[in-house]
Parts: sequence; C-alpha cells; structure tokens
Amino acid sequence: MSDRRRINGPVGATIPPVSEDGASREVAGSRGGRSRPPNAIRKMYLKTGVTPSASGSAYLEIETSGRSGVSGLKLSCTVHGPRSLPRSSPFSPHIILSTHVKYAPFATRQRRGYLRDPSERDLGTHLEAALRGAIIADRWPKSGVDIIVSIIEGDQDRETSKTQGDESWDLMNALSGCITVASAALADAGIDCVDTVAGGVAALVSDKGDASPSIVIDPIPSEHDRILAACCIAYLPTRDEVTNLWFKGDLPASDTELYTKLVEKGIQASAKANRVLVECLGETVG
Amino acid sequence: MASTQHVLLSPAELAYLHAALSLTPPIRPDGRAPAQFRPLVAETGILPGTNGSARICFADGTEAIVGVKAEVERTRLVDGATAGTEWKEGGSARGEGEDDDGGDKAGDSDWVELTVEIPGYRDDDAGTAFLAAMLSEALLADGAFAKRLWINRRFHWKLYLDVLLISPPLSYPLPLLSLTTHLALLATRLPRLKSEGDEDPFFDDDWAAARHLFPRSSSSTTKESARPPVTLLVMAVGNNIIFDPAKEELAVADVALAVSVAEDTTAAATTAATMDLDDAAAPAARSLRLLSIRTIDPPSRLTPPGVPNAANSAYGATTAQKQPEARTAEAEAVEGVWRAPRGGAKPLVMAALVQKVLEKGGVADEILDALDAVDLG
Repeated sequence: MSDRRRINGPVGATIPPVSEDGASREVAGSRGGRSRPPNAIRKMYLKTGVTPSASGSAYLEIETSGRSGVSGLKLSCTVHGPRSLPRSSPFSPHIILSTHVKYAPFATRQRRGYLRDPSERDLGTHLEAALRGAIIADRWPKSGVDIIVSIIEGDQDRETSKTQGDESWDLMNALSGCITVASAALADAGIDCVDTVAGGVAALVSDKGDASPSIVIDPIPSEHDRILAACCIAYLPTRDEVTNLWFKGDLPASDTELYTKLVEKGIQASAKANRVLVECLGETVG
Repeated sequence: MASTQHVLLSPAELAYLHAALSLTPPIRPDGRAPAQFRPLVAETGILPGTNGSARICFADGTEAIVGVKAEVERTRLVDGATAGTEWKEGGSARGEGEDDDGGDKAGDSDWVELTVEIPGYRDDDAGTAFLAAMLSEALLADGAFAKRLWINRRFHWKLYLDVLLISPPLSYPLPLLSLTTHLALLATRLPRLKSEGDEDPFFDDDWAAARHLFPRSSSSTTKESARPPVTLLVMAVGNNIIFDPAKEELAVADVALAVSVAEDTTAAATTAATMDLDDAAAPAARSLRLLSIRTIDPPSRLTPPGVPNAANSAYGATTAQKQPEARTAEAEAVEGVWRAPRGGAKPLVMAALVQKVLEKGGVADEILDALDAVDLG
C-alpha cells in the first residue's frame, strides 16, 4: 500500500540538471596551468601555540593557487603529553606515539563523516612513521603522547564540476602538510627530537603542451593534465635522513634515474618547508 | 598492527641478531640467503563459491586465504553528461590513462573493494587499514586494472577482494597477503558476456566458457597479458639488503620498505609477438614497472636498549646512583650493546633497496616466475 497522504518524489534516483556556462567550461578546459616555477613551493603560514589547553599546538596554512574557488590547505595540530601511561598498560621503554589525522566533515568536496575512514587511518600511520624517526623516544619511558591533526580545509578545486581523479594525489599534499605541522607542534610541546622533520611532495606531471613529462615540486593536481607519479618525503635536513617515503604512480623500472630524481626533488621540497618551520620556531623563541 | 607488534627479544639477543645480519654475507636465523624467500605452498580455486580464490602457506606456519567475488553494478551517471561524455561515480579517483583505447572505456578505483582481516586485530585498526591501502594502491596504480571491470557504458563489475590471514600474524604478513592476492586475481574468472553494446548485460551460464580476468599467454590479445602486481618487503641492516624478513629479523631492521612492482605490459607485447604461445620463454625478457613504495615503521625503534657494563651498577658503576642526570645523558654507542635506531635512513640506502628490487633477474623476477608455475585450475 503506497503512501497517499504525502506527495512523494519519484521512485528512482534522478540527477539534477547541471548547466555549464561558457566561461566555466573554458576555465575547466584550460585548467589554469602552473603559475609558479617548477621548483618553488607555495607560500605557507605557520604559527605555533594556537591552542592554549594543549601542551603543544600549531596551525599551518598553505597559499591558494591564485585562482578563485581553489582552496589552500588549512591544518591544525595539537599535541597532548607526554603524560604517564595508565597503570594497566604494560611497561614501555619508549614514548608511545598515537597519531590521529581527521578531515573536517566540510573539508573536501564530498562530505566526510565524523568517523575516521580508512584513508584517514592510513594517513595517521604514515604520519606516525615520519614522526617516530624524529622523536628521541627513549627519553620518556612509560609515557605516551597524542598527536591530533585536523584538516580544516582540504586542498581542492571546487570550481571544476568534474571529478578528475585528484583525490588520491591530494592525500600526498595533505600528508606533507600534516608532517610539517605536527613537527612544529612537537617542538612547541618541548618534546626532544633529533631534528625538525618536514614534509615535501614532488610529482612527475605531463601537460598537454609539453612533449615529455617534467618533475615539479608541491604539485596542485588541478593545474596539471595528468600526474604520472608522485612521492611524499619526510626529511631530516641536518642528519640528511629520510624518515618516511611514500611513492605512488607508474614508472618503468628500467629508468631508475627518473625515480631518483623524483625523490631528490621531494627532499628539496621538504628542505624548503623546513626553512619556514625553523624560522617560525625561531620567532617563538626570540 | 603487525609491523610494530611487540617483539619479545632481550637487548642481548637483538645485538646478536643485528651483528649476525650485518656480516658479509649475512647469517640469517633460519639459514636463508639474503634474497631468498621462505618456502611456500600455494594452491588456487579452493573456494567454489567465489570467482577466484587462492591459499598460500609459508613454511613458518602463516597462512592466508583470498576470495574474489564479482557483482554487476550499474555505473552511475553524474554531471548531467550529454552523449559521448564519461560515465562515472561522483567524487572518486579515476584510473588514469583512460584515453588510451577507444576513449570511453574508463575504469574507476571505486570498482574494487579490498578488505584485510587479521586475527586478533580490530578491522578498523590503523595497521590493517595501512595494509589494505597498500595492497589496493598497488593494484590500482596503473589504472589498467579498473578498466578490465568495464562491461559497457551502463554497467561494470564490482570486485570484492577479501584477504584473510588464518594463522596468527607470526611475521609481518605483507608479502604473504600480496602473493595470495596476486594468485587469487590470476585465478579469477568472470562469466562470458553474451549481450552486446549498452543493453542490460546477459551472461553465458556455462562456467567453462568464463574468461579469466587476466588472460594468460594468448597471442591474439597480447595487450592483455598483464599480471597483477606483487608487493615485496625488503629491509636493510648495516650494509646488507635482506628480502622477506621474518619477525626477528624485522626487529633489528634499520629501514624497511614495501615495494610494489608489476610486469610491463608494453614490453611483454613485443616478446609475445616474437614467440607466440610460448609462456616458458617469455619471462626471459620481462621488464618491470615500479608502482608504489611505502616505508614500514620498523619495530626496532620500540625495542628496549641494552645497558653497557660501564653504566651497570652490578659491574661496579656508581655514576648512575650519584648523578641521576648521567642516566639520561646520551651514552656513547658501545660495541655489542643494543640501541634502538634513531632518526631515519639515508636517501642512498633507500635508493639501493629499491634498485635491488627492480634489478633484472632479481628477486621480483624470481617471484613472478615461481608464481607462474602455480596451476590455476
């Protein structure tokens, strides 16, 4: 028996019409293009000590790409601890790190739920690997620290109505931001590290105009036609060590030089982000 | 989980293991060569209710089962597409390279769902999510896999891969799960399509006529002689590179990487053209593609440090009691006393690890050859 009291919508799903005016089509067609030189990262704003109740905190904002409708990355990180572990937990000779990365429900084009989804858990694991190499863990036996990164605004182009497969690449940009902001927050909390770790991304992109693919650092997926491969690196500059390496893409194995170059550029991007980080921490101290 | 699970080894044992593995050539606890895998037993087609299944049992007793199930799903149309535009799921990542053949044959990474189940761990555990992300990332990296699931412009196959570890995780299960997934996908068959064009799909009900998702050694479809990727676990101790580490070996690793590689389809096409229907000779000219690399957080960072005799009060050291700050001060590294590694790995070491995986006639080649020999039923 169907419901006759209310006026119901059609049974099947319908798709609302989307009108595409000429201007937006043109923008989507040309897709902007990169305005920076290939080895320049976007400007970033970093500030520590933004959350008074946490023992350490930091806020990171990365510049938008200059086009309207494209949002930059906005991250906030809080560090709680080091604090003693509960009595019930087993003895640990090292500090126990727990990292949480969460997109705000409104951060991306598609709404995210309040529960962490697998990709966010995955980012948390990457972040933990990156930070664990930097922290001098044996100075705090029997203690734990919580590192919580919330992504307030994802790095996404809202103008383009079409999905372009950017999201999997966006994760890399988000991770590099997470590493940098978490490192600043750890320093703010006064947790000893061997060095400040910062994240950097490099990508192998191919654009319509160019014949051969080129390597750029800090890529914005919507500015390029295709991203062939990308890598995100967490790097300790004074020790010249990599704590986390995440590479994704499709490269012929015969050409390892391409891969080596990509990693080199990733390290370069990370070193640039590290300069901002060190300057910000210097301001706080001075 | 898993990579950081608790290792019940004393600092003295860890120091011994580390020293043994740093020798040239390294001496592994189970007597293997540095690039030797654990012996394994593999079979396919063990689950009659699935489209494809496989079981692999490693010699150390870890065992995994993978079942692949396929469902027909309607491809959702978004963005008010007009004639000739794409059909796709909203807001999902696309496989790239969709313009390669015919233009309209596009895949979507939403068409594959991979879950990993490890006994003793919650399924929303971060480590389990990491494993699942790693396996599906390698599978979808080249964008060609999702394209295989395309039926017509209105329908596609949705593939569910369920990866089950049925033994307790005695070692980091990544290589095991990856090899089992690889075999299960090789054995996967989908019913033959009888309908044509964009009409509702209608399939041949004869299972014997079903085609493989990854067709093998057919000279007519050389383009499709691809195989799913494999993910290898490789670690470095001192100057040595060690493949497929057991749990104890991973506990003293300086750095551990998971590297996913696949066979290069374009190169395979040229070899298949010269020697048709000869699958034994094809691997000779195999070339690989690098799909993904992830750093695995080595459990060595969580191991307890040893106390050198100079600082041990049982051996007459008195400094520890008198000056409490001396205890916390960084002691010099003493030969033979275990200390958890600190910091990361040199970029050159990481590059060497990747190079070792990718080299011609290396471990990746050996693994792919060995998996070739498994009867797909």
